[in-house]
Amino acid sequence: MDRELIVAVGDLTCRYAGAPRDALRGVSLDVRAGEFHALLGPNGSGKTTLLRAALGLVRPVAGRAEILGRPAGEWSRRDLARVVGVVPQREENLFPQRVHETVLLGRYPHLSLFGGVRAADGAAVERALIACDAVDLADRWLWTLSGGEYQRVRLARALAQEPRLLVLDEPTTSLDLRHEMELFELVRDLVDGQGLAALMITHHVNLAARFADQVLILAEGRAVARGAPADVLTRETVERVFSWPVAIEPFDGRPQMIPLRRHPS
Amino acid sequence: MNYVLLAGAALTTLVVSLLVGPANVPLGDVLASPIVWQLRLPRAVLAFLVGGALGVSGVGLQALVRNPLADPFLLGLSGGAGLGAVVAIALHLPGPWALPLAAFVGAVGAMALVYRLGLMGGAELDPRILLLGGVAVGAFAAAVTTALVSLAEATELRNAFLWLWGGFSGASWTTVLVFLVYAPLPLVVLAALARPLDLLVLGEEPAQYLGADVRRLKRLVYLSASLLTAAAVAVAGVIGFVGLIVPHVCRLLWGRLHRTLFPTAFLTGGILLAAADTLARTVVAPRELPVGIVTALVGVPLFGFLLRRWTVS
Amino acid sequence: MRHWAQRTHLAGLVALTVTACARGEHVPARGDVAVTDDAGRRVTLAAPARRIVSLLPSFTELLFAIGAGDRLVGRTAWCDYPPEAVAVPSVGDGMPPSVEAVAARRPDLVVLYRSGPNVTAADQLERLGIRTVLLDLNLLEQLGPAARRLGRLTGHEQTGDSLAAVMDSLAAEPPIPSTRSLVFIVWDNPPIVIGGGSYLDHLAALAGARNVFHDVGSPSAQVAIETIAARDPDVIAVLSDRAVAPRYATRPEWRAVRAVRNGRFLFLPGQLFGRPGPRIMEAVRELRQRLQGGP
Repeated sequence: MDRELIVAVGDLTCRYAGAPRDALRGVSLDVRAGEFHALLGPNGSGKTTLLRAALGLVRPVAGRAEILGRPAGEWSRRDLARVVGVVPQREENLFPQRVHETVLLGRYPHLSLFGGVRAADGAAVERALIACDAVDLADRWLWTLSGGEYQRVRLARALAQEPRLLVLDEPTTSLDLRHEMELFELVRDLVDGQGLAALMITHHVNLAARFADQVLILAEGRAVARGAPADVLTRETVERVFSWPVAIEPFDGRPQMIPLRRHPS
Repeated sequence: MNYVLLAGAALTTLVVSLLVGPANVPLGDVLASPIVWQLRLPRAVLAFLVGGALGVSGVGLQALVRNPLADPFLLGLSGGAGLGAVVAIALHLPGPWALPLAAFVGAVGAMALVYRLGLMGGAELDPRILLLGGVAVGAFAAAVTTALVSLAEATELRNAFLWLWGGFSGASWTTVLVFLVYAPLPLVVLAALARPLDLLVLGEEPAQYLGADVRRLKRLVYLSASLLTAAAVAVAGVIGFVGLIVPHVCRLLWGRLHRTLFPTAFLTGGILLAAADTLARTVVAPRELPVGIVTALVGVPLFGFLLRRWTVS
Repeated sequence: MRHWAQRTHLAGLVALTVTACARGEHVPARGDVAVTDDAGRRVTLAAPARRIVSLLPSFTELLFAIGAGDRLVGRTAWCDYPPEAVAVPSVGDGMPPSVEAVAARRPDLVVLYRSGPNVTAADQLERLGIRTVLLDLNLLEQLGPAARRLGRLTGHEQTGDSLAAVMDSLAAEPPIPSTRSLVFIVWDNPPIVIGGGSYLDHLAALAGARNVFHDVGSPSAQVAIETIAARDPDVIAVLSDRAVAPRYATRPEWRAVRAVRNGRFLFLPGQLFGRPGPRIMEAVRELRQRLQGGP
């Protein structure tokens, strides 16, 4: 059974204006429904650029980026927001708002210009909150939430868009162990239960290995390896990309990376 | 419920400003008095419209530059208007519309200049560039204005500055008509952008991911808000503070969603300015205070009270 | 012990020098001429002034009126009366005064109107060793004292005092019963009128006209159009050299004022009416005549 292709990136090359080097060079990626992809690589390797190019925010120098078969640049932002829900790395919080208000923002791509919020929108918000286990947070002010709660709320907002693809850019930085695990479990459940596709940029190699179906490792704008975690996360690859000696040990059928000490005691 | 309350307050303010003033018009004569119909009514209506325009403009600009301390005049418009007005007087341009038109052209000129600055180097109306550019353009315009003033006849220009400090003494039905013909377009454009503006406060990238065409949004908001402000300055001089405070008051009382914020800011700004103008006309009668002073004196305690209520809750 | 005495002596000297410098006085010479000006300074000359620079048209007129016009070596560009004054070299528009231009005329006395910038200019001139006198000239009542002091400073005491006496008696005259009411409109947007306690208000009173804003304490005040309409002056007085209706005359909101509707404007030339000066009698007569002769 061939799952539907949501994102197709082929041989993509991007360069920011005035930059000496390409930010991305010849990178390819296919994300299908029901697949959880992890995007790994050191800082500055082009992960966020790949995201932006795949979603039409950055125009590529060469190659193609397509969403549901259409070039990313041809999608209107509104239409794209109905297909892809993004949890960006950073967002601003200028004015105080409540959780249900911010999750409702996820429905905006579905609202007409002067039309009001309909029952269907309220229901979608409710469903999103339930899926993210955030129903009891609905009336809380955002600034009162803990890091983990806040991330769940942002994920709920992305879910409220009723997307086919979920994109998360480093969602677990500054989260503690429990919330980190909860988030990965949540994404995995959404992929399995609702048939969503998920693309997550993360620094957490081990959790990516445990939860993702496919992993793409970037280094200096180039794709180093792409495929199932077991195939991709070898000691040679990891050491070369991250410039640090590691040992790879299997756990639960998945490779786990153990960084080695420089001067063992 | 909100709107009924606000509409009622608006009506009350309007009626009070008709009945009250330095000239003593007995209640029985009100309906026939030319003072009421030719002077007080157009003045009150104009004050209401200008207050509303400034309130709406303030909402838009605060969302655009993502800074709650933004005031419509922060982007150099008042400097440009002042320069236009001074040039009109120095050149002795004829006709009663010379001054407002010149002020409008000056304000729009400043707007265009800041807009160009905001697009320089591929930047896309970055809020910080807009603010800094606005300050720079405003300062430049003020410097040129001062140079002109120092070189030309002092008395006339001093009186021109009194105009610039804000006031509705020149209000007439013609002025009201001109404003009514001109203002609806930018107002409607801003109202239509209410939802994308809700998204913009999350940041530009998150807003794009939620479906906002941020490039187009910023340009439209900047142009509409600036045009509204330029029109306000042209008919009433520089009345600061309304565009800064009214958005905050409305956010505190009725929430920050722009679909609600724009209409409430319009009504609240209108009420505030109409009331301030009535006070300006009556408090030191037979003399008059510049309206901008009254808006500050009334607005600051009001804001302080609301702020306390909000931080306590 | 010696150190303490020395130190006190030194401190005393320093204090004395500082005070002397602060007051800007030098030890008065014999045969001196001295007046106190309106900045509270004691102005002392060794002899009556021979080279005078006047920095206000009114002072220029006064100097000519008391017979000291031939001593004038500098005037402002605005000083155009009497006609002989135009022959005197100009030192600029005087707002603010160009200290260099004034000093270039090598005066022994500079007469200034007392205002902020002029006080600064006077200090600068004093530092160059040039004597200055700062006089108030906003009100009718200040004409007499000005004439008197200028007379003393120029050695024309007699003419100065007699002119001062005329001015003083005029200033003390009770206002004649008014036949007409008027308003002085200086600016239209926002409307600025002349109030009581000002030169023009006093002039109007002497000419038999009641300033409808006489009750407003300050010389100029911003009012609403409806206030002018409500006070219903018979005539609108405008300081203008040309008899052309002001630009607000055609605006609809000003039609609420009866005098605007009926076109009752009184055009007063700035040269005669705009400045308090020795021709005030002429100004009063002229105004009286215009008010009576009007429609």
